[in-house]
Amino acid sequence: KAKNCGSQKVFHSHVMVATNGSCCSSSSSNAFGSSTVPSGSGTFENMHHLHRGDDAECNGSPAKRCRLRRRTESVRKHRPPFPWFGMDIGGTLVKLVYFEPVDITAEEEQEEVENLKSIRRYLTSNVAYGKTGVRDVHLELRNLTMCGRTGNLHFIRFPTQAMPRFIQMGRDKNFSSLHTTLCATGGGAYKFENDFRMMADLELLKLDELDCLIRGLLFVDRVGFNGHPECYYFQNPSDTQSCVKKPCTLDNPFPMLLVNIGSGVSILAVYSENNYKRVTGTSLGGGTFLGLCCLLTGCETFEEALEMASKGDSTNVDKLVKDIYGGDYERFGLQGSAVASSFGHMMSKEKRDSISKEDLARATLVTITNNIGSIARMCAVNEKIERVVFVGNFLRINTVSTKLLAYAMDYWSKGQLRALFLEHEGYFGAVGALMELLKTTEDP
Amino acid sequence: MAFNGHQRDDDDIIDENETPSKQPRSDKEMPVHFRNEPNSESATTAGRATSDRRTSQSATRHRHDSVKKTRPPFPWFGMDIGGTLVKLVYFEPKDITAEEEQEEVENLKSIRRYLTSNTAYGKTGIRDVHLELQDLTLCGRKGNLHFIRFPTHDLPAFLQMGRDKHFSSLHTTLCATGGGAYKFESDFRMMADLELHKLDELDCLIRGVLYLDSVMSSGPSECYYFENPADPDHCVQKPCTLENPYPLLLVNIGSGVSILAVYSEDNYKRVTGTSLGGGTFLGLCCLLTGCSTFEEALEMASQGESTRVDKLVRDIYGGDYERFGLPGWAVASSFGNMMSKEKRESVSKEDLARATLVTITNNIGSITRMCALNENIETVLFVGNFLRVNTLSMKLLAYAMDYWSKGQLKALFLRHEGYFGAVGALLELLHPS
Repeated sequence: KAKNCGSQKVFHSHVMVATNGSCCSSSSSNAFGSSTVPSGSGTFENMHHLHRGDDAECNGSPAKRCRLRRRTESVRKHRPPFPWFGMDIGGTLVKLVYFEPVDITAEEEQEEVENLKSIRRYLTSNVAYGKTGVRDVHLELRNLTMCGRTGNLHFIRFPTQAMPRFIQMGRDKNFSSLHTTLCATGGGAYKFENDFRMMADLELLKLDELDCLIRGLLFVDRVGFNGHPECYYFQNPSDTQSCVKKPCTLDNPFPMLLVNIGSGVSILAVYSENNYKRVTGTSLGGGTFLGLCCLLTGCETFEEALEMASKGDSTNVDKLVKDIYGGDYERFGLQGSAVASSFGHMMSKEKRDSISKEDLARATLVTITNNIGSIARMCAVNEKIERVVFVGNFLRINTVSTKLLAYAMDYWSKGQLRALFLEHEGYFGAVGALMELLKTTEDP
Repeated sequence: MAFNGHQRDDDDIIDENETPSKQPRSDKEMPVHFRNEPNSESATTAGRATSDRRTSQSATRHRHDSVKKTRPPFPWFGMDIGGTLVKLVYFEPKDITAEEEQEEVENLKSIRRYLTSNTAYGKTGIRDVHLELQDLTLCGRKGNLHFIRFPTHDLPAFLQMGRDKHFSSLHTTLCATGGGAYKFESDFRMMADLELHKLDELDCLIRGVLYLDSVMSSGPSECYYFENPADPDHCVQKPCTLENPYPLLLVNIGSGVSILAVYSEDNYKRVTGTSLGGGTFLGLCCLLTGCSTFEEALEMASQGESTRVDKLVRDIYGGDYERFGLPGWAVASSFGNMMSKEKRESVSKEDLARATLVTITNNIGSITRMCALNENIETVLFVGNFLRVNTLSMKLLAYAMDYWSKGQLKALFLRHEGYFGAVGALLELLHPS
């Protein structure tokens, strides 16, 4: 039978949905797990996809019957009911992808339940939500066909710290009345599982973040970015003057080394869509960059930190090979300009007093980025993979790091390795989660 | 002429030094000091370190003996000028005969006395007395090997002293390694009239490591490891040796880090390195906590709690990330909690120092483990002054190697930590390769 967006295991019988989609008293009571049958409303039906569509409990308006029929069609087509979300709850950011159908018929619109409509309008008519939620409009994928429906895919993010507020909003909008489960990945899918259940009566379908990452990445590369390639690289990375961004695709993508730079870093060797291994990781990731910057410079956001870094000079902070050797360390091919000891000058009070916050931000960025590059390179060599794809929100609006990574891969491997990047950076996990929701039907 | 009862020629010298036993010096032997002959030519004719190049102006019997025996004149130094510290090893002969002493030139005597009767020099020079190797036989002489360090920042003061003591009149060249041997070469020449014989730091490192491990002394074993590194209550230091050490992964943690795969005494390669080393730890600590020295930074770190600063796997997952074997207590994002203002205000300087130490140490451990895996090497030797008085890092490295490799890798340490380059330089002086 069709696979529900919620697996049977996680279905809880106390979550009920009235046929009219309206807020059922179930959502307001017994949020703490008891399986009481909601009282008050006349009929309600079980949203589980084992529903055959021939429920007798279908008294009421023609609209209600229509909805039921449509929902039945959905079920038959193995298509989950709207809304369609994919969620990736990371260590620092929550990434949400939302599919906005644009092929809604007048009939469907008429039937659409109020809170579903309100969610759709809220999400698509705003680009900011609350104080910290942001919709990355420039990343919107337009006129995408998914599971037989045509629509726009929206990319939304907010700090994981704001999760309680998000859950509260889900509760206020009676989200649970629409959707019994929500496909979610990332560590937070595990950490906040209970909170979703308790506070908003929502069941999360928990998915592995790396599975989702790969699935999402391959999908977006396949569908493309509104007619343009999703993937790009830098030509002449070693030459700051002529270094240019060039598009490419991941044709024959395997094997690839996938480096996911979020709060922390995971490095995967991917041999095929379903065959990959996590080679290693490092705890010196985006979270380290931001955390150290906040401490060293007093900044508060990622954007501020990057802004400062763009203006600083890390060589005032780092001890270079030439500071120790007076030039190159030729014997082992280390150029004088290479960093020998990151932050190595900072043990001198005199130097500490002479550098700026911008220099410190830059040094932090360069240190973290180069460390990741170095580790990625070692993995690529060991796994004998030449293509290294860097993703994750550390690279969001962070051209300094992307160029540095491109340069490092090229330089230290003497041109053997190539660094690739993707426009949707940190959203692939969420896309992969959405795909799991739609899994049984996938349009080419 | 016989000497130690052995026939002397170049080849023999190598053998003597390799044997761990100490050999008594024959009375018949001639001291190797020579009269001070100030002659500007001697400075300019200095060349590479073979005994031949030592000037032949002196007519003393001793110089000729010395040349024949290919033993350089005293004083015997080895120097490693690193990014942060200068490491100096000095051989103090204890078998000086009355005759030799009488002939000994004044400034040589004064140098010997200055070095051996002090444990601190100027404001920042230190002699690590606990590392002194006594009754060592080197090149047919018996004596003590002293280990001295001072910040590279104070090299000018050192050069000045060398000039004031007319060091150049004793010794036209000085065997030096480390980046500073290249960087400060002309300073030595200009300020103190000294010619440096520059040696590669990694060659010297390996040579020094192999030598010191082979030296038998009545003191503690040079090499050791930690038993039960995961158990703070039962974690103990245990001695070991580097017998049949090859292949060996040698991780040198100074200002920066070099990782070498050593296959035999003469066959090694630099696998990789990382710029996140001891200099990073100290630099970041100074910035984050206001401390000024390595010792202060370590003191603070010993009292802090890094888990307040770092974001752990459990902070993200609510527990373990089982699928990939990541326990909840593993660090997911170093300093990851510090993006939150609230958390920043709740941590102490000690916590920050600890987090810096843990972050740098674990990163080195992680990179090392990858190298060990790729090079198929199971024994990892950690050296370098980042580990000086730094049991915290040593235990962390021991633990990390053991845990993440499921017991396959073993971490070893050496007592003389950061001095091997200098020892190697000294050996080059005595036994040019």
